[in-house]
Amino acid sequence: MVEETLVLFKNIRKPEYSKTLEGYKKAGGFQTLKKVFGMKPEKVIQTVKDSGIRGRGGAGFPTGLKWSFMQKGSSKPSYLIANADESEPGTCKDRELMLKDPHLFLEGMMIGCYAVGCHHGYIYIRGEYFPAIKSLNTAIEELYADGLLGQDPMGSDFHLDLTVHSGAGAYICGEESALLDSLEGKRGQPRVKPPFPAISGFNGCPTSVNNVETLAYMPFILGDGGVDAFKSFGPENNSGTHLVSLSGHINNPGVYELRMDVSMRDIIYEIGGGIRNGKKLKGVIPGGSSSSVMTADEVDVLYNFDELANIDTMLGSSAMMVFDEDTDVVKLLLRITKFYAHESCGQCTPCREGTHWSRNIIRDFLKGNGSDEKLKRLDRVGGNMLGTTLCALGDAAALPIQSFVKKFPNDFRKYYAKK
Amino acid sequence: MPVFHIDDQPVEFEPGEKILSAALRNGKKIPHYCYHPGMSIVATCRMCVVEIVDLGNGRPAPKLQTACSVDAADGMKVETMNKKVEEGRKLVNEFLLINHPLDCPICDQSGECTLQDYSFEYGSGKSEMDYSKRVYGWRNIGTFVSLERNRCIQCSRCDRFTREITGTNEFGMFNRGHELTVDTYTDRPMTNKFQGNMADICPVGAITEKEFRFKRRVWKLKKNRSICTGCSTGCNVTIEHDRNEVFRLKPHENQNVNKWWMCDEGRLSYRIMNERKTRINSPLGRVGQNLQDISWEEAYRAIAERIIEMAPKENEVIALTDTHASNEELFLLKKLLKDGFLSDNVFCPLPKWEQIESEFFINTLITTDKSPNRAGALALKIKGDAKNVGVKNLIDRKLKMAIILGCPFEKENDFHQKIKQTQLVIHIGAYHNCWSDIADVVLPGQNYSEKKGTFTNKLQQVQTTDIAVQALRRSRPEWQILAELGQALGYKFDFNNVNQVFGAMSEEIKAFSGLSFDQIGDKGIKLTKTFKDNGMKLVKETT
Repeated sequence: MVEETLVLFKNIRKPEYSKTLEGYKKAGGFQTLKKVFGMKPEKVIQTVKDSGIRGRGGAGFPTGLKWSFMQKGSSKPSYLIANADESEPGTCKDRELMLKDPHLFLEGMMIGCYAVGCHHGYIYIRGEYFPAIKSLNTAIEELYADGLLGQDPMGSDFHLDLTVHSGAGAYICGEESALLDSLEGKRGQPRVKPPFPAISGFNGCPTSVNNVETLAYMPFILGDGGVDAFKSFGPENNSGTHLVSLSGHINNPGVYELRMDVSMRDIIYEIGGGIRNGKKLKGVIPGGSSSSVMTADEVDVLYNFDELANIDTMLGSSAMMVFDEDTDVVKLLLRITKFYAHESCGQCTPCREGTHWSRNIIRDFLKGNGSDEKLKRLDRVGGNMLGTTLCALGDAAALPIQSFVKKFPNDFRKYYAKK
Repeated sequence: MPVFHIDDQPVEFEPGEKILSAALRNGKKIPHYCYHPGMSIVATCRMCVVEIVDLGNGRPAPKLQTACSVDAADGMKVETMNKKVEEGRKLVNEFLLINHPLDCPICDQSGECTLQDYSFEYGSGKSEMDYSKRVYGWRNIGTFVSLERNRCIQCSRCDRFTREITGTNEFGMFNRGHELTVDTYTDRPMTNKFQGNMADICPVGAITEKEFRFKRRVWKLKKNRSICTGCSTGCNVTIEHDRNEVFRLKPHENQNVNKWWMCDEGRLSYRIMNERKTRINSPLGRVGQNLQDISWEEAYRAIAERIIEMAPKENEVIALTDTHASNEELFLLKKLLKDGFLSDNVFCPLPKWEQIESEFFINTLITTDKSPNRAGALALKIKGDAKNVGVKNLIDRKLKMAIILGCPFEKENDFHQKIKQTQLVIHIGAYHNCWSDIADVVLPGQNYSEKKGTFTNKLQQVQTTDIAVQALRRSRPEWQILAELGQALGYKFDFNNVNQVFGAMSEEIKAFSGLSFDQIGDKGIKLTKTFKDNGMKLVKETT
């Protein structure tokens, strides 16, 4: 029987837990921070590297490595920015953390700021997350009142301010360089890389942008025995637990904290309680809407970064969307493509024109105007967005299109074969 | 300099330079839309994709890279023409065309449109886009340029221009996704003085100059290099003309003077080149109250006879010139008075002028000195001062002869009255003005689009104009008139072309010593001996 492994959710899963500073401290909070203040920042970064944690925002880039790229000894200030602009369809894990246990994330954020030498951290939060914004602001006020934020928390000779900045509703601002532009007050559009944010980020200063979940692991990883314990939660190179946002035609949707060596089938049928109304599984979108779709036959894989990459899809932000045999995948693809057409920032040619064009073609199928030629064209237009744009939104729009056409061609044919 | 290879040809680059920049500098063409050397790199059009087969470390780049944003590296090998790259460009071009109206037959950009050029090269000829195109209404964005958003390919050059070059920020990108468009903010019209540049940098026909709209197809225009004579900056331009009519001025890149830009006022100065109403068509001689057509020979003979008859002394002659005359003309005028009458009485107006200091380079292009050759006059030591004291002192005496070149002291009415009483007034110029009204002999000169000459700009850089359009049949360039006048008076003035005049000038005038006409070339050349212009006042930009 697969069960949750509680690292991030150890407080949340306790019914009696109160999400106040007092409650968090009672549950052992801020012990790690105290320990970290006694370590050198380089040691902190090395420990994070040792733990092998990979960013939970979608790309899976090793966090320790990212922090070690931060320019040292420059005259400019360094920044750490928490990416809480969680907008990938299907993903709702960061919201849980910020809403139900904000102090855990904030402690992680403070550890991160200490490690990279940041004295003013920003939390760029999705604008629609009103309750989470409120929860974070309340928690930050508590921390200031307690002296944990501001000058010399715990007598550490370190000072830190945190600011919550809410976005204005653009998916693209979850891309780190667009997030920085937006935070600077500009139009949120991805920047040319290089230079990477670690060299020139927020206001041209060295910056690290990290996902909320990634930062929330820091109190555990830097705690006593954290590294070894963290590594033991998954296969090599995929260490730790992760928060899985389970949604779709499933009996028990929700956010679960799971080890990285659990198979997808177990997640669907044991954690998720199987398909709704006893129907059969048709497919799964494994890592947020931008990942390639998987058919029902493919779900016997371990749900982690490397295993999914092996079968040409991705873990992304661990948002699993399950759909049953009655699902019309053309409509599903239209919904996904409409999202990307709406959210494309429009600066790169292939993504701007391609998302819109492919949406029109998919609509054609639903109107009964499909043809073999159009199916091929859809595949081609989707493919032309792949790897040709500045940021990953082009890929994010292209991968579902290509994978749906490849894996469910008959569902498309159904629409025009009737005639 | 380190070297990398484009299509197996070695290309030198400066450390930190991008592939595209190095390629363009070395004459290698890579298609691009959004890249402009004067502005920041956004790498969004995706047209300049190239395949990097060797990053300089023996490994290839994983996918096609945009040449505008990747640093060149020592030993790098780039392919710009292979099949993969062509496919990459084809797909970008296809995407760009799905919403482009393809109204080339009625578009002014047609013929100088990079989208059109690349579509010929990479376009497919048939569209697979079965849906209606994106359509926007027409917007009036100001007096100088016209915005046709349907043609826009969202390269954001115009947006970056107002942000980074003029700093006026009145233009921006709106909406997102396929509805991304350019416009001014809150319906306000454009206000900057450099809007014409936005039409230049727009790779398609989205922004066009109102002044030029529907006047001529661009492939009919012939182009000649010249300089703008609208102010003392001397922006490098091409004069674009057809059938002897000038249609527009376009800036020509010169990093020392105007970079890629010029001001709208300068662009409009093409109008004077087509001016016919006030042009002086032939030599004129005064008979009673009226001016009558005479031949050049008659004019020269009449002048020579009068001068011999009057035998004016050193302080009985005066020459007035404006600073629109070229270096050669000023030099010959000075030489004529010196050789003929031992006189130094050549005056020009030298009012005080202001140079703007600004963090945005483009704002420094406009000066308050609206003449092109003030520095030339100073270098040639033509007399003059801000309050015209020198002229006033001399003009009160009894003068026998006055030579007026161009239109100096236009607003000094008492000068006109006093010069009128002079026995012989010779006016040399292209246009009728207050001086031709009182002249005894009028000799028709030429506009600077019709003759060769050199001008010295505010940076004391000597630059040339070239013959673009054919001059009026009976007019002659001013330097030639002055040379012939000298010959008619019996002096050794055998100059057959501007080069010879310039040669004589470089021998006699210190500031020009050692320079030759052929040396000047495209980029201009600094004076040998520079000096400080005391009439210049640096002013801070007012915002």
